Amino acid sequence: MSTARAEETTLVQLLAAGERTAFEQVYRKHNSSLIRVAVGIVRSRATAEEVAQETWIAVLKNICGFEGRSSLASWIFSILINKARSRAKRDGRMVSFDGTGEDDNLAAAFDGRGRWKDIPELWEVLTPERILEGRSVMDHVNTAIEALPPGQRSVIILRAQQGLGAEEVCAILGISEGNMRVLLHRARLGVRAALDGLM
Amino acid sequence: MLSCQEVATRASALIDGELSTWEGLQMRLHLAMCKGCERFIGQVRTTRDLTENLTAADTHEEADDGRISEILSKLHEEKKQGG
Ligand SMILES: [Zn+2]
Repeated sequence: MSTARAEETTLVQLLAAGERTAFEQVYRKHNSSLIRVAVGIVRSRATAEEVAQETWIAVLKNICGFEGRSSLASWIFSILINKARSRAKRDGRMVSFDGTGEDDNLAAAFDGRGRWKDIPELWEVLTPERILEGRSVMDHVNTAIEALPPGQRSVIILRAQQGLGAEEVCAILGISEGNMRVLLHRARLGVRAALDGLM
Repeated sequence: MLSCQEVATRASALIDGELSTWEGLQMRLHLAMCKGCERFIGQVRTTRDLTENLTAADTHEEADDGRISEILSKLHEEKKQGG
């Protein structure tokens, strides 16, 4: 058993035993990402916060039944996605993550022969701490992620920011691996365009 | 020879190391001759780096304590009701 896996088993046991500090640890690690993924689905910050809270209650209620077949994070996000989707459904909206009908917003950058109309800029050094237009680069990155469609947004938060495995992300969102790669690529292009506009 | 648009479509696959040897070779051939695409790949790589591995940055909001207590008391209520 890997160290990370062993640590997670211990953490799950502590959660099951009702240890508040264990819960605090998991909450701090995932809560803001849970809300950010949920906002993409339910389209309201207040509702997303409610959905995240319901998710945590369900997590603690059912933790004894968690068998470790997926990672804890993956299990928590699955619960969130189900809850957020049923909330959207109640509001009369079906949310799918496959990104059908979205494009990469890049087609306009090329001429008829697939060449750049304008040569891309050479970006100066971009670090998370760098300030652009009065805000840190990371603030701009997060704002850009929040403007993405639900599929792209979920993939970039789960796969890149929360570091979940590719298979786990596909299972949580019910999409193929090829689909996930396309969504991740488009999500990056969306963030890239936002940053490029600031440079 | 790949067009710039085709290179852009494969940018993530290139930087994530998901291209076949042949595809990778075609990309490198184009990039060696095209400043625009070289810059574009650099931008996508920077974007990837900025959007990855934020897991270390756990959030610490002052309101968290209150929210955590609320969750725990709601859980307690639901358990009492046999929910
Ligand atoms: Zn090119």
